[in-house]
Amino acid sequence: MSEESKNNKKSENSKGFVLPGDLLETKSKPGKGIFRKDGRVYSSVVGYSNDRSGYMNVNAIKGRYNPKVGDKIVAVCAETGPSVWRMDIGAAFNSTLHHSESGWKVPFGDTARFLSIGDAVWAEVFMVDAAGSHQITLKKDDCRKLYSGTVVKVEPTAVPRVIGKQGSMITAIREKTNTRIQIGQNGFIWIDGKGEDISKAQKAMETIDKEASSEGLTKKIEKLLEK
Amino acid sequence: MAGQTDMELIKDGVRLDGRKPDELREVKITAGVLDNADGSCYLEWGNNKIYAGVFGPMECHPRHKQKADRAIVQARYTMAPFSVNDRKRPGLDRRSSEISYIVSQAFEKVVMVEEFPKASIRVDMQVVEAHAGTRCAAMTAASVALADAGIPMRDMIPACASGKVNDVVVLDLNKEEDNYGQADLPLAIIPSTGEVVLLQLDGHLTPEQFEEAMDLATSGCMDLYKIMRDALDKSYGGKK
Repeated sequence: MSEESKNNKKSENSKGFVLPGDLLETKSKPGKGIFRKDGRVYSSVVGYSNDRSGYMNVNAIKGRYNPKVGDKIVAVCAETGPSVWRMDIGAAFNSTLHHSESGWKVPFGDTARFLSIGDAVWAEVFMVDAAGSHQITLKKDDCRKLYSGTVVKVEPTAVPRVIGKQGSMITAIREKTNTRIQIGQNGFIWIDGKGEDISKAQKAMETIDKEASSEGLTKKIEKLLEK
Repeated sequence: MAGQTDMELIKDGVRLDGRKPDELREVKITAGVLDNADGSCYLEWGNNKIYAGVFGPMECHPRHKQKADRAIVQARYTMAPFSVNDRKRPGLDRRSSEISYIVSQAFEKVVMVEEFPKASIRVDMQVVEAHAGTRCAAMTAASVALADAGIPMRDMIPACASGKVNDVVVLDLNKEEDNYGQADLPLAIIPSTGEVVLLQLDGHLTPEQFEEAMDLATSGCMDLYKIMRDALDKSYGGKK
């Protein structure tokens, strides 16, 4: 590819790329990643603007996980209290898992017997308050403790790429590596299987995370896994 | 400022390093260079070399510094022992505490701190090689690192100094001009509004010279802002 056509491609692809403080021309309602000043809408993060379905959003390229009620996540135990666990979910603050939300009958002070530091769970966010603190629960659908396996961390913004269109990416990784995988909305991914299979899947995840904004990823990953 | 020299710092409008009075040194910015930080930046500004890393928003420690209604920015400016000619004793000293403090203050003006109550945003700036103007260079690097970390903010802050050598107001002092010049005026602005978020003055300027130095530093900041934007565009804009 010549230098000139490379440059052309870049400018074409840069469409919608915005930086903090950039004015966004829109009549839509303000969504996320923006701020308002004097009745105008500006981007507040580095990302791609998206003016669809009546909302002006800027999807940030990076950033910590912002918990939302109903999100299914993978959480890792960071601290144990007498009746709660403090769980790392990749957000600004650790999340609380209260013993009454665990589904186990936990005697007071005996939390570590059920979940000790480093243990992972598949959980759901069930409460987020204005002060930024949040709680998760294990008493929903398929929520449970995740035995064995490892947890891989990717950018929360890369999660849609890890899943792929209609789950194409994740299906490919599961089939090619013969592993069990749970993808949390928070960018924590739990992988279980044979040692080498796990490291194969882990490598795939890391590649997706690094190249989350490039095209033709599924094919690239399939090629990587066939090696 | 205090030093004496026989060197002619500026002659016929040309400075020691061949620049014109209103010219910046060469600035190179690369965003996202560190894997372990949430956001990072490497900046080369003339002979200055600086790394900036951003962590957070995260729980604020020590707890008594938490603000119930907003986040705080905890900036930390440090110089490597090998960053200057005479080995610098490592760790925080009077000068670096001052710079850390004013940089924190400046960033709290642009970062949307009200979105993260009780949190802390850590900004670490490490000067690897110093050649005058490191506080401005460190701030510029930190701005890019904050944007790289995906932290919501109103704008990025470019920072740039102007000063006076041989009674001529010049932009972006180099080492010799800083040591033997007559004045040094570091400035940081919010480009979209023109607000001043950092302004210091070391040395003597007449009111007219001050105005001239402010204008020069402001235009330097705007040039720098373009370089910062290009750096982020280069790192992320070409993809997708």
